Amino acid sequence: MSDVVLAVNHLTKVYHSRRRGETVAVDNISFNVHKNEVVGLLGPNGAGKTTTIKSICTILRPTSGEIWIDDADAIRNPRAALEKVTAVLEGNRNIYWRLNVRDNLEFFAGLQGQPLRSVRSYIDELIEMFNLKEKVKEQARTLSRGMQQKLAVACALVKRTPILLLDEPTLGLDVETSYELRWILKRMAQQGQRTILLSSHDMNVVQDICERVIIINHGKIVVDDKIENLQKLFTASAYRFEIEGHLSSHQEQQLKERFDLLKISVNGQRTVIEAELLDSQRVYEIIDVLKGNGCQLESVGKQYPDLEEIFLRIVKGDKK
Amino acid sequence: MRHYYLLKAMMKKNFLIIWRYPFNLVAGITSIMMIFLIIFYGAKFIDGGNPSFGSTLEGIVMGFMLWTFIIFAFSDLTWDFINEAQQGTLEQLYMSSLGFGWVSISYVLTFLVINLTLTLSMFFLMMAVTGKWLHLDFLSLIPLMLLTVWGVYGFGFAMGGLALVFKQVQAAFQIFQFVWLLFVLAPTVMESLPWVKFLPVSWGVYLIGKVLMGGESLFAMPPMDVFFLVMNSAAYFTVGYISFKYLEGKARDRGLLGHY
Repeated sequence: MSDVVLAVNHLTKVYHSRRRGETVAVDNISFNVHKNEVVGLLGPNGAGKTTTIKSICTILRPTSGEIWIDDADAIRNPRAALEKVTAVLEGNRNIYWRLNVRDNLEFFAGLQGQPLRSVRSYIDELIEMFNLKEKVKEQARTLSRGMQQKLAVACALVKRTPILLLDEPTLGLDVETSYELRWILKRMAQQGQRTILLSSHDMNVVQDICERVIIINHGKIVVDDKIENLQKLFTASAYRFEIEGHLSSHQEQQLKERFDLLKISVNGQRTVIEAELLDSQRVYEIIDVLKGNGCQLESVGKQYPDLEEIFLRIVKGDKK
Repeated sequence: MRHYYLLKAMMKKNFLIIWRYPFNLVAGITSIMMIFLIIFYGAKFIDGGNPSFGSTLEGIVMGFMLWTFIIFAFSDLTWDFINEAQQGTLEQLYMSSLGFGWVSISYVLTFLVINLTLTLSMFFLMMAVTGKWLHLDFLSLIPLMLLTVWGVYGFGFAMGGLALVFKQVQAAFQIFQFVWLLFVLAPTVMESLPWVKFLPVSWGVYLIGKVLMGGESLFAMPPMDVFFLVMNSAAYFTVGYISFKYLEGKARDRGLLGHY
C-alpha cells in the first residue's frame, strides 16, 4: 500500500556474548505500519519488543534486515530517518531532571534544530494538552512520576516527527495518570495526528488506543491483525457452559481429555466451563458428555475474550 | 541554521544545569585554587629563584592554569557521556536528526566557552593572589589555547567511547589526569629531547609559554611553529574521534547506549 510509513523487512538481531553465546532477540520479523495507524506491540518480557523499537529509532544496529521510514533507510541513513521518527524509551528517565518543564520542552525542540520562535505556541499547546500548566516552572525532579512520564511524551512530541514510538509509556504509573495519558494518546490517534507504535504490558492501554496489534514471542511475530478481527476469531471458537453443582475430578478429567478446555471455575453452586471448540458440532458433543455425566446444564453461550485473554492464549501457544 | 539552534539549545541546557548545581561549581573552583596555592607556596618555600622555564613561579602559575584547562576539556565529554547514560538521556541525544556528531560538537563548544571563562577567571585569581602577573596578550593566548585543547578533545572522545562500551572507566580516567601533567611539563625538556614536541599538548604549552612568559606575539611566531601545532592537534583529534566512532558502533551493536 502506498501509505506505508514504516516498513520492517526481515529484521534480525543477534546478541553475542562470551558467557551466554548467541541470543536471538529478534528473528526475521517483517511488518508495515500505515500512515496515522496506531499499532500495539505486545509480547512477554524478553520477546524482542524493545529491540525492535530501538532498531527502528536507529539506536540499535540490527544484525540483518531493512527498516524503511517513509523513503529513508533507517540503517544506512539514520539521520534522514530521525527526521520522521522519535521515541520515548525509558519514560521518566528521558528528561533532564534539573531543567523545568518548559526548559525541557525547549531543549528537545532545539535538539531537532527547531528555532524557538517557531515552536513556542506548540510548546504552550503541549503544556495545555498534558495538563502541565501549573508545573511549568518546576524542575522535573520535583514532579511526580506520572507528570515526568507525561513530560517525556510531550518532549518526544515537540520534535514534531510524524511517527512516534512509545516503549511501555504507562509502566509504573498510578491508575489515574495511566488513564490520563491513555486518553491523550487516544485523542491524538483519533485526530489522526501521529502514526504510533507502542509496546506495553498493559492490555487496557493497547485495547483502548490501538486498532492493530502485533504479538511477538521468542523474537518472532505470532500474530499481526486488527484487534477487532482477533476478538471475532477468538469469540467464534470460544464457548461458555454453565452447569448446576460441581464436577467430580473424574468428570473434569474426562472433559479435559476430550476437549480443549480453557478454564473451569466454580461460581457458588454453579460450575463454569470455558472451552475452545473450532467445530460447532463439538458444542453438541460437550453437551452430550455433560448430560451423560448427569450434569444439569443451565446455559450455553459464546465467550467474549478481552485482549488479555487473547494474548495469553496466543503466547501460551493455545491458538490453533 | 538548524545547527545554530541546536548549539543554542545545548548551551542553554548546560548553563542552566551548571547554574542549578552552584555548590559543585564553587567547591570545584575552591579545591583547584587550594591545590594551586599549596604547590605555589611549596615551590616558593623550596626554591623560588630558579630562572629556567617551567620551574619558575611564573611557570607554575602558567602550567597549573593550562593543566586545569586541559583536564576540564578532557573530562567534560567523558563525564557527560556517563551522566547522560545514567540519566537515560543519551539515547535521546542520539535521536537528534542532526546527528550525534553535531550534538557532541555543540557539547564541546559549550564546554569550551564555560572552561575558557572559568580557567581565565581562575588564572586572574592565581596571578592576583600570588602577585605574579604574566604577559597577557589575549589575541595570541586564546587562539593558542584553543588550538592546544583541540587535540585534547580527541582524547575526550576516545575516553567517552570507552565509557559507552565499558562503563566503569573512572580508574583509567584518574591515571590520565597525571599523564596530562607530564605532557604539560614536557616542554621543560624540549631542548634536550626534541621528540617531545610530538606529544599531545606539549608543543602548544611551549608556544603559550613564549606568549605568557616571553612576551612573544602569535603573529610574530614562525608560521611553521603554528602549523605544527595545528597538525599535532588535528592528528590527535582525528585519531580520538575515529576511536570514538568505532566504540560508538560497538555500543550500538550491543545495545549499550542506554545502559549504565
